[in-house]
Amino acid sequence: MRGSLLAADLRAFGAAAMKEWRLLRRYPTLFTGFLFWPIALPTAYVFQARGYAGDSQAALDAFASRAGTTEIAGFLFVGWAAYMWISMILWGPGTALRTEQVRGTLEALFMTPVSRLVILFGPIVSQVVWALWMFAIVGGALILFFGVAIPPPAALRALVVILVAVPALYGLGALFAAVVLRFGEVHALVQAVRGVFTVFCGMTFPIVILPEWARAVALTLPPTYLIGDLRKVLLAGSDLASLVPDLAILLSIGLLLCGLAIVAFRRTERYARRGGSLAQY
Amino acid sequence: MVVEGAELRAAWAIARKELQVARRYPIQLVNGVLQPLYQFLLPSLLLGATFFVGGKALGLEASAGTDDLAGYLFLGIVVGAMVATAFWEMAFGLKREMDAGTLESAWLTPTRPETFILGRAISGGILSGAGSVVLLAIGLLVFGASVAGGVLLALPALALAAVSMVGVGYLVASAVLMLREPNFFVDATNFLFAMISGVAFPVTVLPALIQPLAYVLPTTYAVDLLRVYALGTRPLLAPLVEWVALVVLAVAMVIVGRAVFLRTEHRMRVRGTLGQH
Repeated sequence: MRGSLLAADLRAFGAAAMKEWRLLRRYPTLFTGFLFWPIALPTAYVFQARGYAGDSQAALDAFASRAGTTEIAGFLFVGWAAYMWISMILWGPGTALRTEQVRGTLEALFMTPVSRLVILFGPIVSQVVWALWMFAIVGGALILFFGVAIPPPAALRALVVILVAVPALYGLGALFAAVVLRFGEVHALVQAVRGVFTVFCGMTFPIVILPEWARAVALTLPPTYLIGDLRKVLLAGSDLASLVPDLAILLSIGLLLCGLAIVAFRRTERYARRGGSLAQY
Repeated sequence: MVVEGAELRAAWAIARKELQVARRYPIQLVNGVLQPLYQFLLPSLLLGATFFVGGKALGLEASAGTDDLAGYLFLGIVVGAMVATAFWEMAFGLKREMDAGTLESAWLTPTRPETFILGRAISGGILSGAGSVVLLAIGLLVFGASVAGGVLLALPALALAAVSMVGVGYLVASAVLMLREPNFFVDATNFLFAMISGVAFPVTVLPALIQPLAYVLPTTYAVDLLRVYALGTRPLLAPLVEWVALVVLAVAMVIVGRAVFLRTEHRMRVRGTLGQH
């Protein structure tokens, strides 16, 4: 009985992911954006870095000693790719639930016998496709336009880092989805969290240049590990064994965030059922 | 003459309405100031600090002629805000009217359609100007930017660039009217316009193929003159040439932009597609 329920939930999980993917496919202009921004945004920062370097070898050496690599383009592209993935995740699940709420289909969805975990995490799965697409675009741009070499073993190690980061980032996304159900609006909170990540997690800079207190904050945030480890495997040739402590922290934070998201979602659902506010927006 | 006076009054009334709407969303107003700070200025400052040698921006000094990184970036954002006003407030504002279903009824009033754009330009200019003053104050007080009194000499350059941007706003508004989903277009062109103008870095670091584009954008000269007078950076061209370019571009952009907008608006009326989105 339990086994068949699980199988049914898994089928529902696949159906939820497929529905989101079909919706995404209906808006082809989104693909243009996902092609443009992963290249345009970091390229602007590469030009900025060129301005900061001038023709000063001392400035370039200073960057290399702090960042641990001379690949300025690679350093910035990896940071911004992670940022864009995180942005997608912060907006994605919350917006999916909000859209159901606005369309008036959220109550119908909650009436189905499917597990709440499917409702919470199902729409997120389709975004894994976007994440892989974006990292592929970034990798292609780095190889084609900036001559950065990404050997296949390094790309595979990067894929492992991305997969280890999935629970942390998607847990965060699911937590935001719970907030959307509770408060109906998440725009300001997403902007604030994105701001914190941009300032602390080293999208455009190595965190060694932060003051000690800010570095301590950075080390509590999952994107710091994701970005740092991606740079290590792609640009510094690090192997996965040397990253085990970082990956363990990332995974632990991920499990914690997923647990928190589930608890928050259940509480929010109970609150919404009592107050009858599930369809209100 | 009477008609022109009435149009100006209408533009001011539209601007006041937009300001009133903006006042109703104070968090959005605060975010309007904070967003450039955490999305652009702080990441740029921290990237710049990665290149510091002995606490000094030697590389920037070599490429731009100043080692005042904060001053360089905070002045850049003043012109960046001007660009954003043209693209988002003047042009994309039409899309919001379309979504709300009020565009057709507003344009049925005796007020000319281009006056609605002008009204949005005034309110957007006031809001972005106020935001820029706050950001500059943060730059001076928190990040140690040191802007010389000569910055006042660049105010006419900013005014001329603002006039040019009204023309650019008309052009982008024409595109918004024609595209059913203009969000990506506005976002991407706004970004490219600001970047190619040198808001974030010296335009001399752009590839040779793109650099000529920078020289036909009024904002390139505005931000350059602003930095020349405030920070003593090396000018792109002789300042006199930049002033002349600003005047010529201001006149040309408004004439061309307005003509394209009126033509587009006429075509939309003929096809009856004004309310479609």
